[in-house]
Amino acid sequence: MKRTSRLLVASLLAFGALAPAANASELVVGFTRDADTLDPGNHRNRETETIIRNMYDGILTRDSSMNILPELAGSYTQVSPTVYEFKIREGVTFHDGSAMTAEDVKFTLDRLTQEGAMGNDQTSPRKSLLGPLSEVEVVDGSTVRVTLSEPWPLLPAMLPFQEIVSKDFVEKAGTEGLATQVNGTGPFKLVEWRKGDSIIMERFDDYYGGASGIEPVGKACVDRVIFKMIPESASRVAALLSGDVQIINELPPFAVEQVKNSPDADVVTVNGTRSFFIAMNVEGEIFDDIKVRQAVAHAVDKNLIIDKILGGNAVSISGILSPDAFGKNTDLPEYGYDPEKAKALLAEAGYPDGIEVTMDTTGAYKDTAEAVASLLTRAGIKTQVVVGEGALLTQKWRTKGGEKSGDMYFTSWGNGSLDPQGIFVPTHVTAARGNSAGYSNPEVDKLLDAAATEVDREKRAAMYQQAEAIANADLPYVYLWVPQDIYGVSKRLSGWKPSPDSRINLHDACLK
Amino acid sequence: MSLARFIERLLQLVPVLLGVSVIVFAMITLTPGDPVEIMIGDQVVTPEQEAAMRHDLGLDKPVHERFFVFLGNAVQGDFGDSFYHRRPVIDVIAERLPATIELSLAALLIALVTAIPLGVLAAIKKNSILDRLATVGSLLGVSLPGFWFGILLLMLFAVHMQILPVSGRIGYSSEIEPITHFLLIDTLLRGRPDAFLDALSHIILPAITLGLPMTAILMRVTRTSMLEVMRQDYVTFAEAKGLARHRILFRHALKNALIPTVSVAAIETGSLLGGNMIVETVFGWPGLGRLVVESIFVRNYPLVQAAVLFYAVTYVLLNFVADILYTVLNPRVKL
Amino acid sequence: MAAVDTDTPREAAAAQESIFRRNLQSFAGNRLALGSAIVVFLFILMAIFAPLVAPHDPAETDLFRRLQPPAWMPGGEWSYLLGCDALGRDILSRIIYGARISIFIGTAVVMVATTIGIIAGLAAGYMRGWVDTVISRVVDILLGFPYLIFAIGLMAMMGPGLINIILALVYKEWVIPCRVVRGETLATRELEYVEAARALGASGRHIMLREILPNILSPVIVVSTIRMAHVIILEASLSFLGLGVQPPTASWGAMVADGRAFILQAWWVSTFPGIAILLLVLAINVASQGLRDAFDPRFHE
Repeated sequence: MKRTSRLLVASLLAFGALAPAANASELVVGFTRDADTLDPGNHRNRETETIIRNMYDGILTRDSSMNILPELAGSYTQVSPTVYEFKIREGVTFHDGSAMTAEDVKFTLDRLTQEGAMGNDQTSPRKSLLGPLSEVEVVDGSTVRVTLSEPWPLLPAMLPFQEIVSKDFVEKAGTEGLATQVNGTGPFKLVEWRKGDSIIMERFDDYYGGASGIEPVGKACVDRVIFKMIPESASRVAALLSGDVQIINELPPFAVEQVKNSPDADVVTVNGTRSFFIAMNVEGEIFDDIKVRQAVAHAVDKNLIIDKILGGNAVSISGILSPDAFGKNTDLPEYGYDPEKAKALLAEAGYPDGIEVTMDTTGAYKDTAEAVASLLTRAGIKTQVVVGEGALLTQKWRTKGGEKSGDMYFTSWGNGSLDPQGIFVPTHVTAARGNSAGYSNPEVDKLLDAAATEVDREKRAAMYQQAEAIANADLPYVYLWVPQDIYGVSKRLSGWKPSPDSRINLHDACLK
Repeated sequence: MSLARFIERLLQLVPVLLGVSVIVFAMITLTPGDPVEIMIGDQVVTPEQEAAMRHDLGLDKPVHERFFVFLGNAVQGDFGDSFYHRRPVIDVIAERLPATIELSLAALLIALVTAIPLGVLAAIKKNSILDRLATVGSLLGVSLPGFWFGILLLMLFAVHMQILPVSGRIGYSSEIEPITHFLLIDTLLRGRPDAFLDALSHIILPAITLGLPMTAILMRVTRTSMLEVMRQDYVTFAEAKGLARHRILFRHALKNALIPTVSVAAIETGSLLGGNMIVETVFGWPGLGRLVVESIFVRNYPLVQAAVLFYAVTYVLLNFVADILYTVLNPRVKL
Repeated sequence: MAAVDTDTPREAAAAQESIFRRNLQSFAGNRLALGSAIVVFLFILMAIFAPLVAPHDPAETDLFRRLQPPAWMPGGEWSYLLGCDALGRDILSRIIYGARISIFIGTAVVMVATTIGIIAGLAAGYMRGWVDTVISRVVDILLGFPYLIFAIGLMAMMGPGLINIILALVYKEWVIPCRVVRGETLATRELEYVEAARALGASGRHIMLREILPNILSPVIVVSTIRMAHVIILEASLSFLGLGVQPPTASWGAMVADGRAFILQAWWVSTFPGIAILLLVLAINVASQGLRDAFDPRFHE
């Protein structure tokens, strides 16, 4: 018995030593989640898009500093507030060798925006990402003219989220085929999709080079790219430390020290785009008094939590927008940590003995919520954390103007486009989807509405800044922080930087 | 067993499956939480888009209509499209199924190969050190929480000693054209012993974790049943006739002793499917269990319904097989 | 056998009582089983007297003690013997309080499930006919669901909370005592003293509750104790998946889940609660094994 087991272990050891080092130009990403589908038009999931974006290019793209650059479009102009023209590049081929033309671009945009265009009476779930897009035409061979039904300054900011498909391929394979087969213009092509396990891609040698604004232009650096699904964070970190993978996303804050101290791996961060806040039910009895809300704001020691729980990897905010967002008001007054003041405010509001409230949150935020709750309790706001399922909490707190039953809701809202339209509007406009506080201020509504169609950038930014100042004073939410996105990388990796929109663009990534 | 009885038993499955379908549908429909809201999350969506998504997922129809559509399609084998993958649920499940089945079979194999010899030996050498150790081992086996034990194994072998992989089914440098979709078999069929070892190293920890409780139970059952059989009159009678104890044991006793083991194994395999979820989560095994748990949390109705029906069918069939095996192996029992 | 007379049921009951006592003495003689029963009892005491036994408040967070190692490792303190979790709470205190959840849920689920199971099993086994068919079908259907999926589904339907967990686990758990009771009832209903009672005109209910039930209690109790261990692991599994009791209440399963993310940096957060589960469940299993041996009539031959 003993000899056999020793033999087994030895052979496993021997094998284990062989495998990973085999192909030096193979970049493996330890990723949290599998793609839902490989059809760029048939999902609403950020991780899915991250994976697809390495195999499909778009009309426009973003670099790692979030600048919008032309990709499949050589250049573009805004002809009028409602008309844009995109000059499509020549000489771009799909993975199957066929040429990409303006017809494919028109086909893609139509497929995304027309009702029932996905086949089987289905509409693309990404349609609303293109706003008031109403018509797409091909003008003189290689120019695509996009017409909007009303002015929408966001169009260039939103186009990087769409990828171009091949008209011929879709007509042949259908929407069902596109779910598992890939024929894109991106730097990598699909080799194999092992569902739930990994996606294997290899370099597309006839790649046109990519966006001219992102150096270096040309073929991809590595031979193969593999997205390996490792949902368990401890396993993901372990895979990075052992060299099995070279990039991991969602590196947990408490693992940062260990990765930094390791010989082969390092930590890179980028400003995040997800704002965390506590929604207070302003329609409820307790929180409709602004003094109580201010008390809560003064009771949270944001810096302590950022330091101890988030490892210092977060930025404190006093308004809903993250520091990199368009129209951020950088002069907002801070509600500093002052538990005595909090108690005093509560007494003024008629609660000399403090208050008892509940704070709802999801399992993922449980630890942080509990830390916040214990701080609140010490300042007289006795808080009980109630962990619920995401689905149930959404129903309870995102009522679109309906009545709410809870006290506080510890949650977050993402803003991948870094444009206030995606975060300020849903959380602060009266009866909006994400307005968990039940906040309603007609002045703010007016400002945000006007800013949605304001074409002048400076005027637009000023409107958002004013709106943030008003919200900061009204305090329907205690604005907490924006955590950084933390990635772990191998020291052999070069040519890759993380991006605030969570994209992992591996075109220029190289391995030593 | 007569054909008539066989068919009768088979037909009894129908109301059970119907009942399961009704319950699953009721549960998932009554569960609060809107799948469309969850899918949208905190992204920008117009009310028209939301309505379109609802329509695409078939959620704009009233409940009773949805139920009959579901049933009607189900008997034809159409379980609808997954809300997230936007592909037929059957396809999505079929893709993840081989991983789960392979893991369950591996666990079953480990259990049988370990439990039966141990149980027999423990019975033969009753009250010896081996017997006591086996008893302790089996009690430990049913007392260890799988999720905890799995994590410990993973940390020990994969992280600290780094002799086994951290997650997944097989390394990505091994590309195997599937035949049976069972990696352990396919790698051998394709003549790739290196890939076979690779797959083996990936499956061994989750299979041990999954199979441990079953090993413990089967060992006890085998031991008890072996002891029973050894006490039987016909064994003493054979001994009296002068047959070597050895031969009696292996020829007569063992066969009969294994009957309860086999039927318990068949039934417990059904519960292996239930225990899959935890093991698949801990070890990142790309099987059906993990998919179902995720689907419940995002209210991916069609997938949950189809998966639960699949589990129910499997469980019922396994019980059925257990009953049949019992009759076949034990000619004295008539059903 | 003697002809039917009014003394037989009472004699039968008296005979049962002395067998019960003999079995109990046999159990007490089994030192390992007895020892394990004492361990279980100790856990129960620990749970009841948690406020007195625990060195710290299990809900008290201290962000400066995050992930503090156990006392014997560098950086540890003897007053926080097993170290602290991600929010600086004392692990030992949380384990002590966690016993309350495991034991309470385990006991409550088994008690409720056994009661329902006894009623259903008696009805099915004694009254047969359509009652039996309906109950047996329901049992079959419920058995067709994998345990965990059913529990997850129910929790998703009802939301989190202590009562809901108990309900979610009871929904499927009752079929096991039901099957045992049904089987035993089928076996005993033909026995002489039952015939006698029926001949005397006793109502069905009387027969079920007064005649049959006392005589089948032994196997039911044995099965229940075995199931308790299983239910405790199930509750821990549910908590592990995030569907358990609310924070800051400590549940062993949730503690293992919490520590899973940083098991590389702070292995103690997951390991010690897991050991607690193991010890309690093992003790219950050994004790119930002893119970089964003691109450098994064949053992005494």
